[in-house]
Amino acid sequence: MQQLSALLVSDFNLGNFSRYLEQDSDVPAVACKSAPFGQVISALLNPLIDERRPDFAVIWSSPEHVSPTYARCRDNRDGDLDTILAEVDAFCTAVTKFCLDVDLVFVPSWVPVLEPSGSILLGMRAPLGASLLLLEMNLRLARNLEKISNVYLLDVTRWMGSADGRPRNPKLWYLAKVPFANEVFLAAVRDIKSCLRGFRGGARKLILLDLDDTLWGGLVGDVGWEKLRLGGHDPAGEAYADFQRALRAMTQRGILLGIISKNESAIALEAIDRHPEMVLKQQDFAGWRINREDKARNIIDLVHDLNLGLDAVVFIDDSPVERARVREALPEVLVPEWPADCMLYPRALAELKCFETPAVTAEDTMRTLMYVSERSRAALLDRIGSVDAWLKSLEIRVDVEEVAEGNADRALQILNRTNQMNLATRRLNEMEFKDWRAGRTRRSWCFRVSDRLGDSGIAGLLSIEHVDEVAEIRDWLLSCRVMGRKVEETMLHVAIDYARSVGLREVRAKYEPTAKNAPCLAFLQRAGFPARDGEHTFVWNAEREYPLPEAVACPKAVWRTAGVRAGRDRRT
Amino acid sequence: MDLQERVAAVIYRAIDQVNAQLPPADRLEKTRDTVLFGREGGLDSLTLVNLIVTVEGLVEKEFGRAVPLSIAEMLFEPDSPFSSVGALGEYVVLLLEGRGAKSLSKVR
Repeated sequence: MQQLSALLVSDFNLGNFSRYLEQDSDVPAVACKSAPFGQVISALLNPLIDERRPDFAVIWSSPEHVSPTYARCRDNRDGDLDTILAEVDAFCTAVTKFCLDVDLVFVPSWVPVLEPSGSILLGMRAPLGASLLLLEMNLRLARNLEKISNVYLLDVTRWMGSADGRPRNPKLWYLAKVPFANEVFLAAVRDIKSCLRGFRGGARKLILLDLDDTLWGGLVGDVGWEKLRLGGHDPAGEAYADFQRALRAMTQRGILLGIISKNESAIALEAIDRHPEMVLKQQDFAGWRINREDKARNIIDLVHDLNLGLDAVVFIDDSPVERARVREALPEVLVPEWPADCMLYPRALAELKCFETPAVTAEDTMRTLMYVSERSRAALLDRIGSVDAWLKSLEIRVDVEEVAEGNADRALQILNRTNQMNLATRRLNEMEFKDWRAGRTRRSWCFRVSDRLGDSGIAGLLSIEHVDEVAEIRDWLLSCRVMGRKVEETMLHVAIDYARSVGLREVRAKYEPTAKNAPCLAFLQRAGFPARDGEHTFVWNAEREYPLPEAVACPKAVWRTAGVRAGRDRRT
Repeated sequence: MDLQERVAAVIYRAIDQVNAQLPPADRLEKTRDTVLFGREGGLDSLTLVNLIVTVEGLVEKEFGRAVPLSIAEMLFEPDSPFSSVGALGEYVVLLLEGRGAKSLSKVR
């Protein structure tokens, strides 16, 4: 990942935060510039530093600075809520303008820079309790900023909790105008780095879990499922159940779960099916390898089956020996140190900073289900034998949609997450992608894939740009979950049919090799798409059709509407 | 380990913490001679404040006693007791022994 540039805007000294952000060894590397100290509004209205647009910005202000009325109310109970909220609105207006010039903006929520003082009895009492006013301010801030798609309000209280009970350091404040202890800034850096990785497609997608003493207490092969410690009136059992609940909640964000366990498969699966306190069921797991083989080998095997890369994987195991083995054999896999005490498991999971994604789409919430459907498809293929017969039996349907507001989040996810079936590995943020699509001669379509066994949601993205009389394919991406189901050919059919419908002469696809997208090259080579200029530019004469695969139904040819006829704009 | 050695160990731990903020070229060496402040150069003001406040916190944890180091008038005075890591250590020892500010001139 390249180095990102950050602009920091604050009314207090963010020097320590800036230094930690720059020195943090996790990707992406960040170079910081700070807006002039204390001039928040002025900096928000003029965000360009050295004429360069920063990759992201952090606007970390204090409630006292944003709302002098709040500060007065807190000290003297002199003021009113309406005036405070008007001051919050004015700040948000400046942030809104700022967000037009900066692609990605983080705004930490407000906490007082000085230790909260005053009466705890009156703090939450209307109309002028100081704590209540701050809640009102943060709520207004959240409501105002939720309308802006490229700004993210971050909850500072999570960082304050990491400072050993002393999140503020009055000495740093009075000597250097640094309000918070360095632990707070370190926690902020860890979270913001995690968000940045998520925005660039670097979030981990799969958690592989051991079973014995990881998902439940005890060795199921020795004690049987009836004697496992899980749930019930037992501190350890409750902790294991809570850990499972936290894992299941992660599946709602699109994170997959898998099992890597040295056990007898039948015994382990029986425990999952029959233990009454088991939170995770078989359908919550995208796959498993439960046998006596080497865990590193099993991870490679399962990850290959799920069409993911090893760098998408987190491996959780209570055994230091197994962790060391996987860490050594598979350095791409994230293997966190894991506490010996099961009561610390939920916290250890929460502290993993590798799963942040900017949005949760409908596809994310169904992802595990899609893999469960995939298991059914594989079983069907085993029964039927012939691939063509199997594909026809699936009754595959591909619906093509122009990229628009309702599916842009998912399109962006595909653009930034897909590695294998990816022609050019172009990575864009939300605004860059929107700007690109705004061009008159550019079109982007999503491909929604379903069959009789389940809905895979939006799984493909195709972007085309007209250059003279040529349709240049800029993005051609397909989720690995639906690879091999003729959706690849369907996408080529759409690209070529679109070019024919608007009178373009040829379709060109320039393959940009990466460490991971060899499957894309292999497909283009076998798809009958002739190569030019060596092996990496594929050209199709648009006088010839590219047929829609027989096994696929593609009911609505939306790509034929509102196109750009060669040389002149037909879009409205 | 005598008092001086324990104090030096605390200061070196503080240096480790402060170094986490600094680029490799600017990191402080853990030696008595490392210059912190004075006419011949030293740390920028934010780094010095961070170091002194960190030492203060760690001394309190290690010895169970608060020692007043981060006094604004003292931090940036030409004759500050924080001219080097060694001088800082000696000053902390004086404070812990209860000789404090009266003996300040000894380390200047």
